[in-house]
Amino acid sequence: MEFVQAVIDGLLIGGVYAVISIGLTLVYGVMGIVNFAQAEFLMIGMFVAWFAWAWLGLDPVLAAPLSFAVAFVIGWLVQGQLIARVLKAPSVAQIFLTVGLLIVFENGALMLFGSQFRSVTTPYQTMSLSLGSLFVSVPYLIAFGMSLTCGVALWWFMRASWFGRAMRATALNPAAAQLMGIDAGLMYRIAFALGVGLTAFGGAVILPYATVSPAVGSDYVVLMFTVVVLGGLGSVAGAVVGGLTVGVIQALSALVFPIQLQNLILFLVFIAVLAVRPQGLVGASR
Amino acid sequence: MTILDVHGISKRFGGLQALSDVTFSVPAGQIVGLIGPNGAGKTTFFSTLVGLIRPDKGAVTLAGQSLVGLKPHRIAAYGMTKTFQNVALFGDSTVLDNVLTAGLLRHDVQVAREEARRCLDRVGLLAVADKQADTLSFPERARVELARALCTGPKVLLLDEVMAALNPVEMREIMDLIRSLRDDGITLLVVEHHMRAIMAICDRILVLNFGKLLADGTPREIADDPEVIEAYLGRSMEKHA
Amino acid sequence: MRSWMIVAAALVVACLLPLSLDPQGYWIRVLTFTFLFAAMAQAWNIIGGLANQTSLGHAAFFGIGAYTSTVLLMKFGISPWIGMFAAAGLGGLAAFAIAIPTMRLQGHYFALATLAFGEVLRVIANVWTSVTGGSSGISVPFSPPSLANYSFKLLLPHAYIALAALVIVTVIFEAIRRGAMGYRLRAIKENPSAAEVIGVDTTKVKLQAAIISGMLMAMLGTLYAQVAVFFDPDTVFSAGSISIRVALIAILGGIGTPVGPILGAFFIIPLEELMNDWFSASAAGLSQLIFGLILIVVILWRPRGFVTLLKSLSAKLPGVSA
Repeated sequence: MEFVQAVIDGLLIGGVYAVISIGLTLVYGVMGIVNFAQAEFLMIGMFVAWFAWAWLGLDPVLAAPLSFAVAFVIGWLVQGQLIARVLKAPSVAQIFLTVGLLIVFENGALMLFGSQFRSVTTPYQTMSLSLGSLFVSVPYLIAFGMSLTCGVALWWFMRASWFGRAMRATALNPAAAQLMGIDAGLMYRIAFALGVGLTAFGGAVILPYATVSPAVGSDYVVLMFTVVVLGGLGSVAGAVVGGLTVGVIQALSALVFPIQLQNLILFLVFIAVLAVRPQGLVGASR
Repeated sequence: MTILDVHGISKRFGGLQALSDVTFSVPAGQIVGLIGPNGAGKTTFFSTLVGLIRPDKGAVTLAGQSLVGLKPHRIAAYGMTKTFQNVALFGDSTVLDNVLTAGLLRHDVQVAREEARRCLDRVGLLAVADKQADTLSFPERARVELARALCTGPKVLLLDEVMAALNPVEMREIMDLIRSLRDDGITLLVVEHHMRAIMAICDRILVLNFGKLLADGTPREIADDPEVIEAYLGRSMEKHA
Repeated sequence: MRSWMIVAAALVVACLLPLSLDPQGYWIRVLTFTFLFAAMAQAWNIIGGLANQTSLGHAAFFGIGAYTSTVLLMKFGISPWIGMFAAAGLGGLAAFAIAIPTMRLQGHYFALATLAFGEVLRVIANVWTSVTGGSSGISVPFSPPSLANYSFKLLLPHAYIALAALVIVTVIFEAIRRGAMGYRLRAIKENPSAAEVIGVDTTKVKLQAAIISGMLMAMLGTLYAQVAVFFDPDTVFSAGSISIRVALIAILGGIGTPVGPILGAFFIIPLEELMNDWFSASAAGLSQLIFGLILIVVILWRPRGFVTLLKSLSAKLPGVSA
């Protein structure tokens, strides 16, 4: 029974991991760069939601679209002004530009907000639904539901909307897409802004059961990367598979291992995937 | 003495059979031409010989040494290397450094530098030894690539369209160079589209089409072979003839 | 001719510098760490600069070195000098173990994998309490001061040892860069397939570079342990303060050049100390923020690093040949 409980918890949390990580895989799929600062946008999303709660009394889950919007704008500017300049540069330049962003965001937040940990209190925080002998935590469930909604919206956007199809075209063949009249630079900005916006959305959604501080990004970095590498860098469907898988792995390893070792399991999965099947479970090699 | 023995080489990429049961032997000192329409599998075949691509089936033997499953650097050490069709120089390095690196296979840096200068002189490019490789024109880069391959001290040299984009004078020089390399004891396999050049310098021609070896004979025999003519010109031409 | 004169002059200045500082003071410590980080960045430079593989996990070797010599001293009384060579052995082994699975990975993937390795070791060190003392850290046992014990009352000898380490690592870097291995690494960087075809054993060369870099980094970890006297896994295996920082130093200074890591270290380490002084606790994070901004600016406008500024300056001086 403990096992089933862990799997349920793992799936619920995993759904959120998927939403948080989709942005990372989207950016890589469209532009070919790994955004090492992606987890900082999680932090930004969490802070936006926290302040919305502290100043406006807004439930974090309702503030999630606000988090999305703030991150979207920041991402739009960052991509257009900074990242666009290194798209043709050697990978070491790309890597260290986003590492520089990581340093700037984390320390900027440290200076603005201080290092203390903050969390929210919501009426449903400790509630859970019971299914027989199993419990479904309400914050987890709401987070999962929001993630699902977000995921469906993204799926519609990528499949049905012009922008989504144009982005996929740019990812597959930038030169051909340009010839079709698609502005590749615009697509990159949308992809990046959308990607970091989604991560921020995920941050807001987990706030009811997580704590935020300027350094919170580093807690989630390896997790996010494990999700996308497991699913396949560049594959959105892969991020979903990866997210759910990582959620379940984490929940199951919590049954057996102490907290420090849980992360180790993730790291080892991460390294194993990179060594054995770098394109991930779902992705095709780039 | 047979220097190169190719037996039953086949390679499939997904749904495409790129090479089918290619078999032939080359005696030392021959200049062998390899021709065929675009997409026939010539470059793929060269890549298989030097170990960049692993064939699904078949064997390659160089002077009695089996090359199956060996990595390209081992094959180069045994004495076979190739030039790249689109020229694969180390663009940021100087011309001399490009060739020198090849010389490191058998010599230390000092001697490799001497050898590199010798090879560059052989292709007539000693004057540009200190220029950055990607500042040269395409034909010059193709010749640097030839010098680089030469500097590995090969027994068998595979040349992939070294005469592309050459004017008649330059072509003449390359043809003379190829002959002089043969006189030095190197066996050459040459992929080329310039028919007249192939006919002039090759002792023997292999024709590849859709991955299969269509014909194998002297230039005269190949020119008269109806299957070869059909492969290049297509059946419809015959109707009009 | 002229570059030899500059190098000789710089060495003389470097040797005199520690003597000019207050032996009890703060700045001799800063200088020691500057030399040390320059050496670390130079060790990274072998992989990140010459082999063009951006490693974000070099802390793995550094931490292995620091813990190996300290544990050997603590449990078996083995001198840190010998411990340093044991550290080199383990560091080389670790480099081999990391290089094999990551061999085929390119650019971003390689960076991610090495980052993960560094973190794995950090977690292991935190958990393996019986050997490392866990997250509460480990102290280097006191030995009576002597050169043989690698123990000194003052910081001055530490500074000279760090300087010697910097010189040695730089000499090794140059020997690789100018020798056959340098040519082969450059070829692999530009076109691995072509390199193979002309006889370069790409796997062997990359492994050699990785092992040398790992061994040197581990030995520098031993140096650190002897200077710092106390450390914990979150310090020596740190992704941010070690792995990323040494790569950053090499990149800002001039990646792939022998002088880049030195320039980078002399810029960053003292500046960091100064800024921590000026701004102190009231603006925690400001110095790092500024470095983040400098990094972004350099990447966008001078990606080859500060060394290019030097080159354009010296080009403007009359009568100087490059």
